[in-house]
Amino acid sequence: MRDVFPWPLWWICALLAFGVICGAPPAHAQGNYEIQVYGADTVEPKSTMVELHSNFTPEGQKYEIDGVYPTNHQEHETLEITQGLTSWSEVGFYVFTSEQNGHGVQWVGDHIRPRVRAPDSWHWPVGVSLSTEVGYQRAVYSRDTWTWEIRPIVDKYLGRWYLAVNPALERTWHGPDIAQGVGFSPAAKVSYDFTKQISGGVEYYADYGRLGAFDSLHMQQQQIFVVTDLNVSPKWEINFGVGVGPTAATDHLIVKGIIGRHFSWKKPSPVE
Amino acid sequence: MLKLSGMAVASAALAALAQQPAPADYTIEIAAYGLEVAPRKTIKTIAYNRQVPGPILRLKEGQPITIDVTNQTGNSEVVHWHGLFLPPAVDGAMEEGTPLIPGGGRARYTFTPRPAGFRWYHTHTFAGKDLHKGQYTGQHGFLLIEPRDHPAGYDQEIFLALHDWDGDFLANSDGSMDPVYTVSTINGRILGFGEPLRVKPGEQVRFEFLNSSPTEVHWIALSGHQFKVIALDGNQVPQPQTVPMLRLAPAERVSAMVEMNHPGVWVMGEVRKHIMAAGMGIVVEYAGSSGKPQWDQPNQLLWDYLKFAASDAPSSQQADAITIPLVFESKFAGHGAMDHWTINGKSYPDTNSPILTAGQRYRLSFINRSTNNHPVHLHRHSFELRRMPGTPETHGIVKDTVLVDAGTEVAVEFTANNPGSTLFHCHQQNHMDAGFMMLFQYA
Repeated sequence: MRDVFPWPLWWICALLAFGVICGAPPAHAQGNYEIQVYGADTVEPKSTMVELHSNFTPEGQKYEIDGVYPTNHQEHETLEITQGLTSWSEVGFYVFTSEQNGHGVQWVGDHIRPRVRAPDSWHWPVGVSLSTEVGYQRAVYSRDTWTWEIRPIVDKYLGRWYLAVNPALERTWHGPDIAQGVGFSPAAKVSYDFTKQISGGVEYYADYGRLGAFDSLHMQQQQIFVVTDLNVSPKWEINFGVGVGPTAATDHLIVKGIIGRHFSWKKPSPVE
Repeated sequence: MLKLSGMAVASAALAALAQQPAPADYTIEIAAYGLEVAPRKTIKTIAYNRQVPGPILRLKEGQPITIDVTNQTGNSEVVHWHGLFLPPAVDGAMEEGTPLIPGGGRARYTFTPRPAGFRWYHTHTFAGKDLHKGQYTGQHGFLLIEPRDHPAGYDQEIFLALHDWDGDFLANSDGSMDPVYTVSTINGRILGFGEPLRVKPGEQVRFEFLNSSPTEVHWIALSGHQFKVIALDGNQVPQPQTVPMLRLAPAERVSAMVEMNHPGVWVMGEVRKHIMAAGMGIVVEYAGSSGKPQWDQPNQLLWDYLKFAASDAPSSQQADAITIPLVFESKFAGHGAMDHWTINGKSYPDTNSPILTAGQRYRLSFINRSTNNHPVHLHRHSFELRRMPGTPETHGIVKDTVLVDAGTEVAVEFTANNPGSTLFHCHQQNHMDAGFMMLFQYA
């Protein structure tokens, strides 16, 4: 890769952090529409990644609370389209949908997620990127309708092992949690390459609540997924997992799947 | 042939040096060096005599030579004389028995250079994941063995080395880690930095290209001109041919004549755009011409070894040639690791060591079952290309390194005429470091 990175990453981090702290206040994590620990890599320029996230909650919240539909037996289908901009940046778009008995197929909301990463030319020992995600979700699916997230991403391959950490910060722009401050929602992944094609591991997702005044463990969202990644081709991304949520504030059982296809718009030429 | 050699040899030579030995014909100092590849872009590397490429060594065929090498680095080093028919003690590969030169130490190499032609010299040490060691550094230089009678036939001779720098191991699309570089140079400088090559209309210029890159194949074109290829790896080809571009795998050399018949200011550089953008190019300026250098972007990559093969019908495999099949495969070691490489199922140092009989003809059948191309090199001998993928038998092209494309088979033949341990390996530094080596032994 040959990269040119005009702005220092620390400058962008500072700008985003300033926006989070001084802007509007915070939110609970958006529901189980996109369950994924991000890797630091970005989509190449002149190419697009199209992903379908399919998540089903066999055992979730059974009651309507504050006008929000229960999550039990909800099927979420999320379309994610990510366009590579440069060798160090991309932008992603999400369309969230939900299907449930009694409610049918519903549009839930949309998000946009720009992301930058440390270029390869910096020779950092770990992959580092930073995404910010902003969007709307209907009030019947989330109490907070406008939310913002910044997500630092650090990852590293070590032989057959892969490690990734996403210590995300969230806040609400519009909704009942607007006064709650910055929420801390970390995610992490550890996986192992059993073969070139098959990897398996564990993904962890949480929402600890307000930064500096975490909820009690009982009220935190905590989920652990056993996952497998199938690396059948550079063009495809396939991930399956089953997760449990042991705390009262978490859906207790979720099945997730991601299937992605990479499309390149580069002119096929041996000299490109 | 060898008069005195090595430093096994060299340790003995140390004592001799202390007793005021005769001065060497050449001295090489291995030391840290800051290579300014572009304005405000300096690569910290290791070089020979604080220059990249190292000094041109012009030797006479058959005339004994003495080269003193001092190692000013903190690591052991060794200098390999690539393409020469030398004894193992001085060939410059510790696997064959050449002693390493310890950090702070020195050695005297004494040998009789042959065969005539364009050779080169370079480090031959393990780098592993350290992209500041081994062939990833600037330790390479041109070595020309002039024949006893040397018909010039040209007005200028220009040596050009292609190299890649500032690498990182990144995951590739087939699942392992490979070096990816941010800077690519010709003679240690990026396009537009440094003096242009100055030529005159009507000149015959002989270009001696060397790909000293640790891992990358390169394609070179000179806008407005064509190359007449006259030698590969320093050995004259049976049929010199004119081609629009050259392809050089790591360690390969191409000698090509260019008739300077198109005055102007031109770019000679890598045909692939992203490598050119990383700097691999040099300006060629005619006397009396000025202006912005012109680059006509080719839109395809063209190269075929067999274009230069003998035109007469080759004999089929020599009846007395013994075939040695060598199967190249990789073993996955994780998306965060380099693949392990095997020859016939084993990685060096566990690879088999076929026993050669002096005077016997051998046919090496390279069967590449991997998804990578491999520039394979045989030390201390030359071989003749006999079969390339999808073609009938050929002959006449003599080389010491050949690129075996992924998923293909290539056959070469050589005569076992230089007894002693003989190293065979992929010249991609990361492949040889990960086991892609084996030794031939003589009975």
